[in-house]
Amino acid sequence: MSRSFLRPKCRTWFIGSVSVGTGSVALFAVLASSAPWSPGRFWGLTFGTLAAVVFVLDGLYPLRRRLMGWPFGTAQRWLQFHIYGGALALLFVLIHVGFSLPNGQFGWWLFGLTLWSVVSGLVGVWLQKWIPTVLASQLSVEALYVRIPEMADRLQSEADAVARGASDLLERFYSGEIRPSLAGVAPSWSFLVGLAGDRERRLTPFRNVAQFVSEDDQDRLKGLEAIVTEKFELDAQYSLQRALRLWLPLHLFPAIVLLGLLAVHIFAVLYL
Amino acid sequence: MPTTDQPVDPGGNPLIARLPRYEPASIERLKTYPFLEQVNQRILEKLQPNLIERSYAPGDIILRLGDYNDAAYFIADGVVEVRISAVNAGSEDDPAPRAAPTPVTGARPQGLAARLRHIFARQPLEGAVQVGGRATDGTVILGDMPVGGRPGERVLLEPGEIFGELSALSRYPVSADVVACTQTRCLLIRTPALRMLLKQKPLASFKQMVDERYRTRSLSTHLRNVELFAELDGSIIAGLQRSAELVSFEPGAQIIEQDSAGDAFYLVRGGYVKVAVRAGPSQLAITYLRKGDYAGELSLLMDEPWPYSLFALEHVEMVKISRADFDQVVASHDTVRDLLWQSAVVRLKERGVALRSPVSAQYLQMAMDTGLIHGESVLLIDLNTCTRCDDCVRACADTHGGTPRFIREGTRFRQWSIPTACYQCTDPVCMIGCPTGAITRPIGSLEVTINKDTCIGCHNCVKRCPWGNIIEVPYSSPTINRDIELATKCDLCLGRTQGPACVQMCPHGSATRISFKDLETVTTTLSAEEMP
Repeated sequence: MSRSFLRPKCRTWFIGSVSVGTGSVALFAVLASSAPWSPGRFWGLTFGTLAAVVFVLDGLYPLRRRLMGWPFGTAQRWLQFHIYGGALALLFVLIHVGFSLPNGQFGWWLFGLTLWSVVSGLVGVWLQKWIPTVLASQLSVEALYVRIPEMADRLQSEADAVARGASDLLERFYSGEIRPSLAGVAPSWSFLVGLAGDRERRLTPFRNVAQFVSEDDQDRLKGLEAIVTEKFELDAQYSLQRALRLWLPLHLFPAIVLLGLLAVHIFAVLYL
Repeated sequence: MPTTDQPVDPGGNPLIARLPRYEPASIERLKTYPFLEQVNQRILEKLQPNLIERSYAPGDIILRLGDYNDAAYFIADGVVEVRISAVNAGSEDDPAPRAAPTPVTGARPQGLAARLRHIFARQPLEGAVQVGGRATDGTVILGDMPVGGRPGERVLLEPGEIFGELSALSRYPVSADVVACTQTRCLLIRTPALRMLLKQKPLASFKQMVDERYRTRSLSTHLRNVELFAELDGSIIAGLQRSAELVSFEPGAQIIEQDSAGDAFYLVRGGYVKVAVRAGPSQLAITYLRKGDYAGELSLLMDEPWPYSLFALEHVEMVKISRADFDQVVASHDTVRDLLWQSAVVRLKERGVALRSPVSAQYLQMAMDTGLIHGESVLLIDLNTCTRCDDCVRACADTHGGTPRFIREGTRFRQWSIPTACYQCTDPVCMIGCPTGAITRPIGSLEVTINKDTCIGCHNCVKRCPWGNIIEVPYSSPTINRDIELATKCDLCLGRTQGPACVQMCPHGSATRISFKDLETVTTTLSAEEMP
């Protein structure tokens, strides 16, 4: 595959973020070499504040449709800010604490949730780049996620109609090996590993039985094979689209908790 | 008078006042029309379903400016008034060429510099009415009324006159309001019947009349609308008007065969033409021609056989200009010669690209096969980057009171999904025959919109859309106090300053809108190497 999943979609955002990140680390290196670094001193607080501001702005991402894209103009720029801002916020947090491990349980929770939120976000970026290409390049069926179960349910009755009147051999093959696999959509994590193996596993029995099936039943067999292929594609579509959806809570809920803890942290710094 | 169950507006006025009474015409009745006297019984029986008599009360609007129409109107009794507007005024007497508008897509140019260039390069469609339109689409407006006149002038048509035939044949928007002045009866000759009548040998005089009307009333305007002829002297235009041949082709017909002798120049006045080059047993599409486009310059300029073939993709109407006239035009004007050479070079380049890279021809062929060539603003989704999050659909719903105007599911070509969303066709057939005039497109604009206050849920537009892109949603109409299936369609988020919400709110930049008028963008977009 020629595409690189590391290639940035918007080069300007990438170059800008790398520049800001490099500049921040260089500033930290200069400042930390001239005086002892502390999160509570001016520069430590500055980076901490920057991280907090970016996290809060990142947290506004779900409001993009209500804001009609404001202030970035398009949802795509909102997302770019969300991604690169989040990654930079992690860097600012690391600079804020002077690249040292946090103190105390609260510090660890803050640090752990920051790390989880950013890393899960980056995993999401990778999934959102990788899964669509698999869906587009390896599957010919394209279906709306909510409609897939209904489409899959229809296949069994279609297959029943095709198998009706078949010879005993084909009838036994159909009811024993094929029909059960057509009962409803069957999501599987194995599709994340690859599609070819599963496709092969489902279609091999057709090649095995083809040589024993009479000429009259060959068309029926081909019809059933087409239905099984479609079922495979629907299962794969459903599984991969589900992965895109299931990832979100893993990122979203810890991020909400992080924003809550961040508020407590700021309150503590200001008033305690 | 409207019957009691006819929908009325809050003021009690019938909403479908312009829906006239329908009177099926019997064969005997049809034979009373002078131009049908010579048609034999068998042909008349074939024509009958598409020959309809309609009566109009004084004040009824028969045709409305900007409507699309599928019938010519023969006045049997009564008098109708043609209200000339600024759009078609002075089609013959006013030689001012209309500036070619900038092709418009839903997408805005990116970057400040590009946007500024776009703003400064924009040229309004001269003389055209634009109501609420964001941009012009280059629609050619030709006078299809058998009158010449000035804006505001009252022109009356009497029995024996015919109007609307150009709109019906070539899908130009109606260029004037036509209103019944007295109790009027018209014979509606619907497009299939009109085409059949024009082919009947015994009715040569009928064809001659229709052609002559186009030649005298519209051809000069048409020529002036083509950049190539815009600057020509009036005398040359008048000469072309006299000598040009008007030709028609059936869908699928081969208009020109590759390698045949180049003897004429062709200007398209209606329909779509495929330009293809032979590659082994197949014909590779290199481009397509539409209203105002032309072909033949290459072989005439170089005095060589045709380097490509022309095929009619649908009913095609063309203006054929002979070699002698063409040579006269070329000799008279350096600009014309330069433009023709430029066009010839572009065509040769397209031919070369198609032959070197047959894959690029697939995109054009797909566009022709699926009807996308009609699209002025087609929504495309790149499945390689689309995460199926449906934010586009939600954004559409947010913009339209909670009901999305499109379905993400649709046809697929390679990595591109073409959702069930209005293409904003150049010739919107959905606009034909709306009984309340609820579906409209202001002349010169891109957006076809449906007014939910006047839609009565008759399904006419839904049935007419060849792509199934108009969807129906349950709606309790306060205007007619009735639950209806409201016809809804994408209106390109008319009035929304940020443009179509589906494109703006796609977080991955997967949604885009392209005009299939702009072939370069089409090929570049569809063949672009996908970026993760």
